[in-house]
Amino acid sequence: MNNAMKIVHGTWIPNAETDFVQSGSFYLWIETPILKKKRDIKEQIHPGHLAKDELINFLAQELGIKEPVPQLNQRISSKYFALPTANNQPLPSSELIKYLEIETPEEYTEFQYWQVDCYQTLTSIKADTPAINIIRLLNDIHFLAINNLSEIQLGSDLLFWYHYTQSFKQIILKDQYIPTLKYRELETPQSKSKSKKTIPPALEIYAGWSIISEQYEANIQKYIEYMPLICVAGSTVKTENIEFFNQETLLRHFSEFILNNIVTHTSSTAAFDKQITDSLIYYCFSQQHNFHKANVSLEEYKQWQIWKNKITRSQSELPFYLCFQLNSPAAEQIDNWQMQFLVSSKQDPSLKLPLVDYWPMSQKTKTGVHKQYGENFETNLLLNLGYAARMFPKLWQGLETDTPVGMQLTLEESFSFLQESAWVLEDAGFKVTVPAWYTPTGRRRAKLRLKAAGKSRSATKGKEKSHFSLDSLVQYEYELAIGEEVVTKQEWEQLINAKAPLVHFRGQWMELDRDKMQQLLEFWQSHGDEKPEMSVLEFLQRNAESGEDWDIEHDDILSDMMAKLQDKSRLEPISDQLNLQGNLREYQKRGVAWLEYLERLGLNGCLADDMGLGKSVQVIARLVQERESVDSVLPTLLIAPTSVVGNWQKEIAKFAPHLQSMIHHGSERLQNSADFKKACQQHDVIITSFTLARKDEKLLQSIEWQRIVLDEAQNIKNPKAAQTKAILKLSAKHRLALTGTPVENRLLDLWSIFNFLNPGYLGKEAQFRKSFEVPIQKDNNRVKSTTLKKLVEPLILRRLKTDKSIINDLPDKVEQKLYTNLTKEQASLYEVVVKDVEEKLQTVEGIQRKGLILSTLMKLKQICNHPAQFLQDNSEFSIERSHKLSRLVEMVNEAISEGESLLIFSQFTEVCEQVEKYIKHNLRCNTYYLHGGTSRPRREKMITEFQEPDTEASVFILSLKAGGVGITLTKANHVFHFDRWWNPAVENQATDRAFRIGQQKNVFVHKFVAIGTLEEKIDQMIEDKKKLADAVVGNDESWLTELDNDAFKQLIALNKSAILE
Amino acid sequence: MVKFSRTWWGDRFIKALEDFTDDGRLQRGRSYANNGKVLNFEIEQNHITAKVRGSVNPYFGVYKEPTYKISIEIKEIAKSSWNEAVQKLSSKASIVSRLLLNEVPENIEDTFKELGLHLLPHSSEDFKTKCSCPDYANPCKHIAGVYYLVASQLDNNPFLLFELRGLSKDELQSKLANSNLGKALAQELNAQEVSLESSTSFYPKLEKQSVSEKPSVREFWLGTKRLPQTIDVLSSSGVSAILIKKQGDFPAFWHKDNSFIETMEELYQRVKTKNQSLM
Repeated sequence: MNNAMKIVHGTWIPNAETDFVQSGSFYLWIETPILKKKRDIKEQIHPGHLAKDELINFLAQELGIKEPVPQLNQRISSKYFALPTANNQPLPSSELIKYLEIETPEEYTEFQYWQVDCYQTLTSIKADTPAINIIRLLNDIHFLAINNLSEIQLGSDLLFWYHYTQSFKQIILKDQYIPTLKYRELETPQSKSKSKKTIPPALEIYAGWSIISEQYEANIQKYIEYMPLICVAGSTVKTENIEFFNQETLLRHFSEFILNNIVTHTSSTAAFDKQITDSLIYYCFSQQHNFHKANVSLEEYKQWQIWKNKITRSQSELPFYLCFQLNSPAAEQIDNWQMQFLVSSKQDPSLKLPLVDYWPMSQKTKTGVHKQYGENFETNLLLNLGYAARMFPKLWQGLETDTPVGMQLTLEESFSFLQESAWVLEDAGFKVTVPAWYTPTGRRRAKLRLKAAGKSRSATKGKEKSHFSLDSLVQYEYELAIGEEVVTKQEWEQLINAKAPLVHFRGQWMELDRDKMQQLLEFWQSHGDEKPEMSVLEFLQRNAESGEDWDIEHDDILSDMMAKLQDKSRLEPISDQLNLQGNLREYQKRGVAWLEYLERLGLNGCLADDMGLGKSVQVIARLVQERESVDSVLPTLLIAPTSVVGNWQKEIAKFAPHLQSMIHHGSERLQNSADFKKACQQHDVIITSFTLARKDEKLLQSIEWQRIVLDEAQNIKNPKAAQTKAILKLSAKHRLALTGTPVENRLLDLWSIFNFLNPGYLGKEAQFRKSFEVPIQKDNNRVKSTTLKKLVEPLILRRLKTDKSIINDLPDKVEQKLYTNLTKEQASLYEVVVKDVEEKLQTVEGIQRKGLILSTLMKLKQICNHPAQFLQDNSEFSIERSHKLSRLVEMVNEAISEGESLLIFSQFTEVCEQVEKYIKHNLRCNTYYLHGGTSRPRREKMITEFQEPDTEASVFILSLKAGGVGITLTKANHVFHFDRWWNPAVENQATDRAFRIGQQKNVFVHKFVAIGTLEEKIDQMIEDKKKLADAVVGNDESWLTELDNDAFKQLIALNKSAILE
Repeated sequence: MVKFSRTWWGDRFIKALEDFTDDGRLQRGRSYANNGKVLNFEIEQNHITAKVRGSVNPYFGVYKEPTYKISIEIKEIAKSSWNEAVQKLSSKASIVSRLLLNEVPENIEDTFKELGLHLLPHSSEDFKTKCSCPDYANPCKHIAGVYYLVASQLDNNPFLLFELRGLSKDELQSKLANSNLGKALAQELNAQEVSLESSTSFYPKLEKQSVSEKPSVREFWLGTKRLPQTIDVLSSSGVSAILIKKQGDFPAFWHKDNSFIETMEELYQRVKTKNQSLM
């Protein structure tokens, strides 16, 4: 399969020599599948890694490292990793296992050192010694890997380092490090001279940098929990005993080392060098000197140590926070702003003590206070007031007393405090409380308001006047507003002309931005008189982009509309009166109401309910509903993956037998335009596949559709694909996309779906990338992601299984049949077997006949699963050969991508094996396989691992016999039955693995049925039998041998219309 | 005018000299201080004594390098006045805070003025100086040299001002202890004594662990806890060098005339902006 896949590993390895200055390096290495040729196992050389020359190639070509080859050559060296080892082979990493076809042992006997060629991550900087560029490099590699630009994947060790180094950057961004000296006493050499003069202890002083940051300390504690053992398994030498580094010390060693490395590699200028020459900063900053040794006197060291002690004392050892609270005055006292000093306990920050209350306390009460806020409270308090005053010198004014409690500020001073000093004090570790009207949530802004009103173009003709409809437009005008209130031009101009930056306006203080207000005023003056119109879609666009500079005021019609679109629970569920077989659940009725509402507004939406919540039945209900209100409706075109085409027809037949559906697929489909048109007129729904949507592009374009429904709409995610282009050209009144994968997080998928639904709504692709994808995914831009969310939210209905209202609406166990067609290959194999057995049946009797019947049933079931299972010729177990497999894989993918675990049952171990392999290699997800031969301890281990709440969502495959009893797998909330057993009790017993005590979620049971085969008949029998007592039929299939020949032939006969190419 | 000291109070101390001596002599005095010619240098309350290496000068008949003895005495403030002065000082949080930060508040003289006193040298009458050199000018360059040394010590230890006016550290502490805020300052004076901390390694020391209980293969590679799905957004601070700014400018180990804080601000800025290829 994919032997090209390469896993990039790496970690920090300290040097073996334990000098005073113990250095280290970050090393990368590449793990590959182990080739059959075992090379040098005796030498303990890792048999599956890129050795020097290949590694250099890989670095240059795949990772794009630009250094010349001789340079790279120098950076490669052999290191040793203690790896779990079994059968004298290192076990592959968890990432690589997913790409391997061979089984790897789960158990290992021991750790062994394996020699690996590693790349030392250094980069040459002009004239300097090379510097460690791992932080940058990890960022680049991570981006390469997530964008699938290369066949590489990050090992979990590197992923850890990526996360850690990203958070580490804040130390540098926030200057949370100081120049540092270390003083070392040298052992006095034994004096050989005769003089007995005692030599003063020799000492050396070293210079560098160290981190001082509460956030750093918290991060260390947080990240050591994430740090896997592989990160501490590297060594520069091979030692006798296998030892790992302690996680915390390794992380600290890395952090301090990388800090020093970066700071000392910072380029300087002659002018700057002059600024620091002859000072200890020179020794800290410059890398010219020898291993950090500094020519600094002991006296200077002492001075530095006093300085450092004060920094650490003010930073981390203080038990309280000093707080500043600014209170705004009443309107008439514009210069009477009060700044109050308070302290709050670090242990309980809500506990605040204003200093105005502290000083008058009795000595006894004060002693009590000191217990809370620490020894030397007053010294620390004054010291910190002093520190704060250094950052905000105005504070000295408040300290001209022996009992400082606060101070008065003028309006100007307060403004500059709010604008700048408040943030400085916050950053310096003080707590600042600003007036509520200055906080982001409480702030009133001057902005333009769009006063919008719904207006029906054909208002008088409409049946329901108060409702908005397809033809509706939104009329709007501009207004000037402060916060939520509309203001007059005069008021606005008065504010612009006010001299103060802070004004008291309509009972509240606010900050003015005159330049912006002037701009808005100019805009308003040129557009204020217009009464333009826009479409509902444009209105939604405007609405999403509102915020800072302008917002929208709705009239009743519009606010009713926005309320419904933003909170779909406000939609009235449709009534029970629909002519539908079976009942809709409450949320499904609401879903149908939403579909109807959107179509009425002329909007196209995406129904994105979780898998299993019944998207198709809601669509079918909508089809039925529209036919009940209008006499003649154009046909709907439903485009779905081939594997579900048959299922759609079955579902329609089940829920709405009066709807006429036609599958447009296969070589016998109508290809003549006239015939097709005619057929379309006679049907309500035409079901076709994505493939045919492209092949029969012209034919499908020739019809005017009522609606196009895209099932699994993520299939059009590639805008350049011919299939996508063909679908975009179809013409229809309404468009609807269905998907169960969380599209909100895959921005380009989202764009593609919206490009189908409402072209232009999210902009052109390039525009979308620039304004949303890049800012959101590369720079974590919150504003952009909020805007995007506001844009798409009204047009997406996504309900999750975990939503409270949904849970209440669902039974604990939801059963669903999945109908799939046979492929041509399956059908012809099936027919051969049927034909063969029909002939043989004439000639055999007794035990032979029984045997023949049982083996026939088995063969046919195998064919329904997959041709390869029946043929047993080692042919490819591919999804193209079985729609059943194809559907299973699609659904597994969907569930896993939503983080849901699942169980798959089959009665055939060979299928279980193949399915596991297929899923593991193609979906790269974590799988387990339990069969009769699984040892007990292995079984226990698999179950524990699967159930572990912190592990990733996984697939558990069980053979029906082995997985029947005594196992709890409640982490799964999907159960798939790949093939059917004659007795529902056996199936139910299997299903109950997930549906047991401790299951918090609803369980979805999916049972596969191959259309037109014995499976469908078995299913029918099971359904019928449910009504009878279980005792009528036994646990196995032997009772079928009692059937007479005709009955048996009928049972296994193939309905040819069920074949789908 | 050349700036002789980096702190305003050190500067003020020097300026007092300027009033009664010429620039050239001061300059020579300065180079005396810098070139290590001052040999024994002691401050005993308001009494400063030192020995200074003079120069060979055949013109004056000096053929062998001479050593001159110098003494400077600064006018004491009477013990009785100290009580009042200290009391006044410790009644203002601003003054105590500044002193805690090892700085002399700009308005400190106001407090002394109210009592008709001066903390900093005020006129030539505040000094009594003697030098054994043949130069009759007073202050001679040797005195000026010693003077500079005192000023540079003052930069790092503002409490020396009190000693020079005749109040020992112990006395200062006991007087401070009479008021609340003063107590806070007295405590801090003690905290300034440190014992040397020696290190056994430059970087945090590495420890090893042997793994007795074998983790599962998955656990070995993946760890026990899953990494979060998202990365926190980092922002740089609006103000640079906050850590060191709190400690004030010109820390004791910084002997240069340019501002330590400004230098560090530039350094931090360089580290953040010049290392794009590393982070």
